[in-house]
Amino acid sequence: MLGFLTARQAGLDDPLRLKRAETTRRVLSLELNHDRDVDRIHSNGINTIDIEVIEGRYMLSGGSDGVIVLYDLENNSRNAHYACKAVCTVGRSSRYVHRFSVETVQWYPHDTGMFVSSSFDKTMKVWDTETLKPAEVFQFEGNVYCHHMSPIARKHSLIAVGTKDQKVQLCDLKSGSRIHILQGHRGEVLSVRWSPRHEHILATASTDSRVLVWDVRRASGSLFSLDQHNGDKSKASSQAVNTAHNGRVNGLCFTADGLYLLSTGTDDRMRLWNSANGENTLVNYGKVCNESRKGLKFTVSRGCSPEFVFVPCGSSVAVYAVHTGELVSMLRGHYDNVDCCDFHPDYQELYSGGKDCNILAWVPVLRLPDLEEGGTIAKEGKSQAAVNPAFQDAWSSDED
Amino acid sequence: MVDQSHKLSELVEDLTTSGEPQLNPNKLTEVKKICKVSIDYIEHFYHLIMTQLAKEHAEIRLSAFQMVSELFTRSHHFRVLLVDNFQEFLDLTVETDSDEPLPPPKEVARKLKTIAIQTVQEWQAKYGEAYKKLALGYHFLKQVKKVDFHDVQARTLAERKRQEEKKKRLDRIYKEKVEKAAKEMEDAKEEIEQCLTEINNSMKLLLPTEFEFGDLHTPTTPNHSIASFTSLPNGKSSTSSDMDDQPCCSKDLGDESKNGHTETSIRTTADEVEDCSEEDDDDDMEGLVDEDAFIRNTGLISHKYSLDLNLSTDLKLKETEENEAVVNIIKDLHKLISTKYLPSVQSWVQVFTKAGVPEPTLRQAIDLKKSLDRAMKKHEELHIDYKARQRRVMKAPEGSDDDDDDDDFEEVPEKEGFEPHIPDHLRVEYGLDASSSNPLAGKESVQPPVRRHAPSACHILSRPRNGATDEEQDPTCAASTLRLFKQLTACGVPSVSSSGHVTTSGGCLGPTDQANDPSEDRKNAPVIPFGLDLYYWGKEQPTAGKIIKYVYSQHQFWVPIEVEEEVENKELAAQMKSRYITFAGRFEPVKHRCKAPMPSGALCERQDRVKCPFHGRIVPRDNLGKPTNPEDAERLEKEEWKRREEQPDWRDPELMRDIELATGEDLGSSKTFGKHKKGKGKRKKYPNLSDLKKSANTSRSRLEKKVFNPSSMRRVTDVMNKMDKLKHAKFANQFNYALN
Repeated sequence: MLGFLTARQAGLDDPLRLKRAETTRRVLSLELNHDRDVDRIHSNGINTIDIEVIEGRYMLSGGSDGVIVLYDLENNSRNAHYACKAVCTVGRSSRYVHRFSVETVQWYPHDTGMFVSSSFDKTMKVWDTETLKPAEVFQFEGNVYCHHMSPIARKHSLIAVGTKDQKVQLCDLKSGSRIHILQGHRGEVLSVRWSPRHEHILATASTDSRVLVWDVRRASGSLFSLDQHNGDKSKASSQAVNTAHNGRVNGLCFTADGLYLLSTGTDDRMRLWNSANGENTLVNYGKVCNESRKGLKFTVSRGCSPEFVFVPCGSSVAVYAVHTGELVSMLRGHYDNVDCCDFHPDYQELYSGGKDCNILAWVPVLRLPDLEEGGTIAKEGKSQAAVNPAFQDAWSSDED
Repeated sequence: MVDQSHKLSELVEDLTTSGEPQLNPNKLTEVKKICKVSIDYIEHFYHLIMTQLAKEHAEIRLSAFQMVSELFTRSHHFRVLLVDNFQEFLDLTVETDSDEPLPPPKEVARKLKTIAIQTVQEWQAKYGEAYKKLALGYHFLKQVKKVDFHDVQARTLAERKRQEEKKKRLDRIYKEKVEKAAKEMEDAKEEIEQCLTEINNSMKLLLPTEFEFGDLHTPTTPNHSIASFTSLPNGKSSTSSDMDDQPCCSKDLGDESKNGHTETSIRTTADEVEDCSEEDDDDDMEGLVDEDAFIRNTGLISHKYSLDLNLSTDLKLKETEENEAVVNIIKDLHKLISTKYLPSVQSWVQVFTKAGVPEPTLRQAIDLKKSLDRAMKKHEELHIDYKARQRRVMKAPEGSDDDDDDDDFEEVPEKEGFEPHIPDHLRVEYGLDASSSNPLAGKESVQPPVRRHAPSACHILSRPRNGATDEEQDPTCAASTLRLFKQLTACGVPSVSSSGHVTTSGGCLGPTDQANDPSEDRKNAPVIPFGLDLYYWGKEQPTAGKIIKYVYSQHQFWVPIEVEEEVENKELAAQMKSRYITFAGRFEPVKHRCKAPMPSGALCERQDRVKCPFHGRIVPRDNLGKPTNPEDAERLEKEEWKRREEQPDWRDPELMRDIELATGEDLGSSKTFGKHKKGKGKRKKYPNLSDLKKSANTSRSRLEKKVFNPSSMRRVTDVMNKMDKLKHAKFANQFNYALN
């Protein structure tokens, strides 16, 4: 740290390097923090959370009970301990509330005045954040598993929607109508993702084990389908041709730079693909437990030097290095399956929601100020004990 | 360090597999001591405990959980470790994952769950602030798993209420009981006290007299005479008054006797004998010595009432005529106390103590019980020798006729009891065979059946005979005394018999009397079924075993050579004259034991005749199980040696098992010595834990055992095969049947 600082002072280093180093360090020290709580509003499992990127202050969460909650993550209380307040809720009492489980919520990428939610009640609603009323409701024929708006799109304002139907729907916010369908999947579409690099590139994952990459400008069909064997027919059985996984593919995520695409499937695997040519990079992440029948929302870090991916894995969140596949840590804190997680790029905080109704905040642990080399370890325990009497050992004297 | 951690592992295993609901505090303290030393131990302990918690046995989990809760409140580090893995912990103890239910046994699992829930709540209250995951877990349980922690409390509240109600109900019941008992006691108290004073007084009455007679070994004559004088008139009066009720022995005869008056005379004498005998009971065996003199002096039948008290060791009281009334009372009272009062008093005391009644009532009850006990004890100490209770009432068989017939006979002084010598000339009169000096019971028991065949003629004669045997059963008459003497003195001593019998017996009795001796042999003779040999007994049978052969040719010219037509079959002849009697011998129970030393240290208890199935031939052995004969010892040692050689020591099962454990390869230790060590191999690893594999003894399992056992299955298949075969045999040539 000090080395980086001096180098920065001397102007030897790129400013980005220090940032990266510090970011990486912080990500690596993510921990369940005692000082950070998130209000418990949901009475049922949490399916999705989204943190807006404009201010980095508000977080949306959608639960299986159909409730959507908006949290304020900013701690203005000058107190270390902070429980993220729920600013407003689309609760069960609201007449606009989703009748069934909310599967996806997403902020409008350019403004916090609007967000979009989709639900198993076959609707997708576009909400006005101020009034908490839907400005637009899209109706579909089947359950809506997921939707996504391109974070970088300037030329279009399309929402890609994956439903129970095999066709991927494209809804235009400008006209408020479904303008396009993308045909190619042979199963329910569980996940859709716009590329953060090219605004017309869309990746979709389905229960037919395939991941298709589309250019929405091209009407004829998908650009390519991701193949786990990279076209090596000898390795694949006849049916497994052009499949990304040996099971349902239920999660997709581009890396921050959009060069790679991550996919997870119910074959307990995660794969990293080159998003330009659809090549399987063959990074081995090991077993990534995944039993979800619905879409899985996972995320990647931003601004770290080796990037990390945070994947819900059973009741914990696994942190892998994206390019090496190394399991960095397991964030254990949930008591039931974790369904979603989101990364706060400014503070390197991770929020995860699971079936146990909790949204947990994983906050980098601040290093304690070092006093002197020798005394630190001894004093650490004591200072901790001084903070909270519960940390003290309580050996009774009869054990001597 | 290694030592300690090893010890820690052992302790943890011991504690968790104890199978008890509570942990052994000593061992637990030991564990805590070790854990206190260093964080490393705590970590080690944590891992050990988590493995134990994951075991599929609720008892192990429960014990492990108890240990966890002990350590959790003590060590911060342990808390950190546990809370870090709290999901798994909850899974294993609270059953948060419905796919992984708690293992059996169910009872323990339920207990574990409730304890775990309560403990988690306690932890949350105490440490929830400090350990975030603990709080999360608590909330998870509360909100997602809908574990209602308040319900736990509420349930305990409800339980408490229920308990209170139960207690109230019990109290009420007790109160009722107490009231009832108190009332009963009030009612019965007087009775009991009265009974107590009575028994005490009667015992007091008994005791002093006893001490007076304490030194009475040589009977005091004045006492005697008094006794005899007083009792004699009593006896007379009693006979007259008791005339109506006859002893059962003479009752049935009474009806017969009414037919013929000839016998009445006999009867009276017999009755008189009975009457007199009644008076002196069976207590005249004392004073045997001076009886003769006494009889001679007084000319009276010996009436002696002597109290034989043996006070040297302990009190012994014999019931006599004198103390009879008192003893009777005591006996009745004793019975009353032991069957009625004591149990009831005991139950009162029980009720009172259980219900906790005011002091005085309880004390009263206890006092009563004490005094009753004392009385019982005193009674025990007295050692009262009760007579065998027999109804001593008697009745002359034929009321008034007796009196007028009486004078036909000359009054003969009744002889009672033992008369060692009977002059020869009197023997006939006494109904004794002149030659044989011992009229044994056998004679009398043999004769009646003979007589029965001539009912009318021998009727009169048979009566007294029968009477005599019956009299023997009656302890109050002379005959029984007679019998007693006979039994006492093995050599037959002639004694008194009813004189009447002799006079009438006359010639009719003659032959039977003569047959006295053979009758004894006859008793010993074996009884065999009638057979050919008996048929031909003592006869020379010319035809015995002879078979006539008919050799007869029907040919006109050809005549066979003359052969003896009669062929003697020796076998047949022998059969006619002899008889096979299989001699099976007599069963003799085996008295010896095998006594070979067993591994348990005991000696073999088998009682085989020749060979013990486990230890070979039975040889005489001493108390340690060593053969007493040196050659036996040598032989046994040789055998042992031989057996060892068959089983070389590198195949020592223990050693092999160790090697197997170390290498993980199966060397067949269990196979090779399966026969020897079958029991050992099957022994449970943790005997204290309840066995999960033990199949439930349900009706289903029992039925299964019956239905699916191989032999019955085979039987069924046999029958079915037979049916099949039958069909095939029948329709073998018809293709349309053959195919199916």
